[in-house]
Amino acid sequence: MENVPLQAYLLLALALFCIGMYGALTKKNSVIVLISIELMLNAANINLVAFSKYGVLPSINGQIFALFSIVIAAAQSAVGIAILIAAYRNKNTVNMNLFNKLKN
Amino acid sequence: MMEFSWIIPLFPLLSFVLILFFGKKLKHFSAYLGIGFVGISFVLSIFTLIERFSNPTYKKEFIWIKIGESHLSAGYEVNQLNALMLFIVSLVSFLVHIYSNGYMKGDKRFPIFYGYLGLFTAAMLALVISPNLLQMYVFWELVGLGSFLLIGFYNTKESAKEAAKKAFIMTRIGDTGFLVGILLLYSKVGTFNFNEIFYAVQAGVLSPRALTVVGLLIFIGAMGKSGQFPLHTWLPDAMEGPTPVSALIHAATMVAAGVYLVATMFPLFVASKTILLIVSIIGGLTAIFAASIGLVQKDLKKILAYSTISQLGYMMLALGSAGYVAGVFHLTTHAFFKALLFLAAGSVIHAVHTQNIDEMGGLWRKMKFTAPLFLIGTLALTGIPLLSGFFSKDEILISVWNHGNPFLFIIAIVTAFMTSFYMFRVFFIVFFGDTSENSKRAHESSLWMIIPMFILGILAVVSGYINTSWFGTYLGNWILDGNEYIKGTHESASTWIMSLGVIVSGLGIYLAWEIYVRKNQKLLRFVNPEGTTYRILSNRYYMDEIYGVTVVPMTRFFSIFLSFIEIVFVKGIMKLVVYIFSLFSTIFIKIQNGQAQTYGAIAFLGLAIVIFLLVLTGGYFKWIL
Amino acid sequence: MSGEYIVFLFLSLVAVSSGTLMLISKKVMHMMVALIFTFISISGIYILLSAEFIAAVQVMVYSGAVAIIMIFGIMLTNHHDSSRNKAPLIRRLLVGISIILFSISMYVGISHLKISLAEVALHENNTEKIGIALFSDYVIPFEIASLVLLVALVGAIVIAKNDNVEGGNQ
Repeated sequence: MENVPLQAYLLLALALFCIGMYGALTKKNSVIVLISIELMLNAANINLVAFSKYGVLPSINGQIFALFSIVIAAAQSAVGIAILIAAYRNKNTVNMNLFNKLKN
Repeated sequence: MMEFSWIIPLFPLLSFVLILFFGKKLKHFSAYLGIGFVGISFVLSIFTLIERFSNPTYKKEFIWIKIGESHLSAGYEVNQLNALMLFIVSLVSFLVHIYSNGYMKGDKRFPIFYGYLGLFTAAMLALVISPNLLQMYVFWELVGLGSFLLIGFYNTKESAKEAAKKAFIMTRIGDTGFLVGILLLYSKVGTFNFNEIFYAVQAGVLSPRALTVVGLLIFIGAMGKSGQFPLHTWLPDAMEGPTPVSALIHAATMVAAGVYLVATMFPLFVASKTILLIVSIIGGLTAIFAASIGLVQKDLKKILAYSTISQLGYMMLALGSAGYVAGVFHLTTHAFFKALLFLAAGSVIHAVHTQNIDEMGGLWRKMKFTAPLFLIGTLALTGIPLLSGFFSKDEILISVWNHGNPFLFIIAIVTAFMTSFYMFRVFFIVFFGDTSENSKRAHESSLWMIIPMFILGILAVVSGYINTSWFGTYLGNWILDGNEYIKGTHESASTWIMSLGVIVSGLGIYLAWEIYVRKNQKLLRFVNPEGTTYRILSNRYYMDEIYGVTVVPMTRFFSIFLSFIEIVFVKGIMKLVVYIFSLFSTIFIKIQNGQAQTYGAIAFLGLAIVIFLLVLTGGYFKWIL
Repeated sequence: MSGEYIVFLFLSLVAVSSGTLMLISKKVMHMMVALIFTFISISGIYILLSAEFIAAVQVMVYSGAVAIIMIFGIMLTNHHDSSRNKAPLIRRLLVGISIILFSISMYVGISHLKISLAEVALHENNTEKIGIALFSDYVIPFEIASLVLLVALVGAIVIAKNDNVEGGNQ
């Protein structure tokens, strides 16, 4: 019985990462932008877990890293949503186009 | 004291800096500050001079810049000439500082005037103790700057601004020659140091032609500063500055710098007969040329200015005739009596509020001190026996005669005659002429102005006795002592020359008396303002006009050509660069829209391109290595 | 073709297609549903990679917590104009080009990757192994992670707190 090769997992992660990147850079809705970022993080997690099984030195450490990554991602999304709500309260919109204070 | 002579220029500089920063607060006190600091310099200069009498030359140098094998040094040197110049410059500057306290009283920019005086004095003092050409050049330019500021001191007056510009530009022409000369000399000899240059000259390192070219270039620098023909036109215009400035700049310091330069570089000049001849011809030409213009001028200060040019020409003539001692001696005495004349003239101008001698007259009774002092200065300048000018002028005449150029000797004699004529013309008109409206209100000046004049008056009388053929040539012996490069340039006396000098001077005085006091009708015809000669003279040989139709259009044409180049090439390239950048910027402005997503997109694009390039080229930075 | 292959293909198909669906769907709620599908299929992938614990965490944190937070975010903010207006064409083009370039480069990298498979039995007592590793080698990062979570919690509250209303009421 043959295993699924490492490359297959990496390609899946690449596809998900690209989808996330595209969403993060082109979507207007800031909630969707946040979601896309989560997707990118997930893609990274797939890589970590895949390497933990099929890597040069396979061990449990990859899974631990994935775990930490999930923790940070959760915290990040919480703060992200909080910022979004605060911004929404100020601007009454979540449209990324209108968040252009960086210009000044 | 000589070890510390470097400190002498620092005091006026300090006063300049202090006044620059605190002048607004110090107000009138800045005058005392300036006087005090220059006074210290003066006292130190006296000590230095006295110490130099009994001690050998002191010289201190350290390496300033090292470029590969060669190195440039900086330092200071106190030889006879330097010590003497230190004394003269600091003395005249000190007296002018005192005098200005009376003359400039009430001026709005009174403190800054003292600041400028300090700067100028510092530069000049530093110039005379420079041990090498490069250092000298630096201070030479600083002196030029100081004179520019001082001449243009009345900066609300258009003519003063023009005069300052003219002085600066005309001397720049000379300075350029000087700089080229210095560099040429450096390229041939490999040093800026005076002694090493002289040694190299003696050793015959320079070919005769190179020697002549270098000497000529350096002399052009001296011509610019000392107002020698044809670069003299700035000097009369520079009279737009305050009168104390004229006394300082045009008697003892800046214009003397040119003569000092020639005297310092004398061993180099002596080595080439051609250059000596050029120096003496230029000097003689300038002397008679300026004196003849001085005959008919109406502006009191301008007459003195032309007289200065003429006397500087005399000094150059002396130096060109191998009369090193004569030149330096005349430089010394001239510094005193010309400063005296300028200060006295300033006193007169201060009293009558005009510079036109026709509007003066009958001041002999009004100005009890100024008038006799002016007379002393005039007598000294005309070379009346027993006064300082007599001895120094005599020395020059002897040098010129012994050097064996009869033509130049005649020029010198004629100049002496003209000098006495125009000086006494001024004297008679101003002090004995018909009393004019202006001179009725005249009054004697304050003590601040009288005392410096008085001191200078004494010096104008006695300073001649340091080098006479009657009582001993102390100056000559001292200044030639241990100076192996300029031996044997001291001339023995000759009675008939002395007598001739006195006779022509007396003749000049007599003529002036006949025309301007006795109003002899026969002689008055010669000074008819309608005459051609008179017109040419009063228009200064149309020198400014000649420059106006020759040099100026040429320069203008050249500058049009240059501006064409600038417009087409320089500006074209500039515009192109600007256009390219504005093109880029219009793109980048669109990117900088303040949206994080755009920034992220651009950053990601960059990353993608970099990674893609790495993959294409094999990755792992193989293409860089 | 083994069962593992089939499961992997199925899961990855679901993950990628629901990810794409998320990008192209018009309504925000549809996006959220697509996202949850993606997360769940990713947890399936984790099981394939012998990481049961991570898979469980994935389901709970992402499909549960994060998705719920996002839905709250959507609910709390007004979304009548949600994804009607798109990003400017030039940026979409730019990002598209970048992504294609990036994918090509990554694909080249992945296809050149040669790692000899030395399988270890990670699936046996997976949770126990993770627990041992967390509380032995990774105890300090673990504690710091808890601190980060606390800070994030407090920070989120402080940021989201309505200052104006509170200030007005008291």
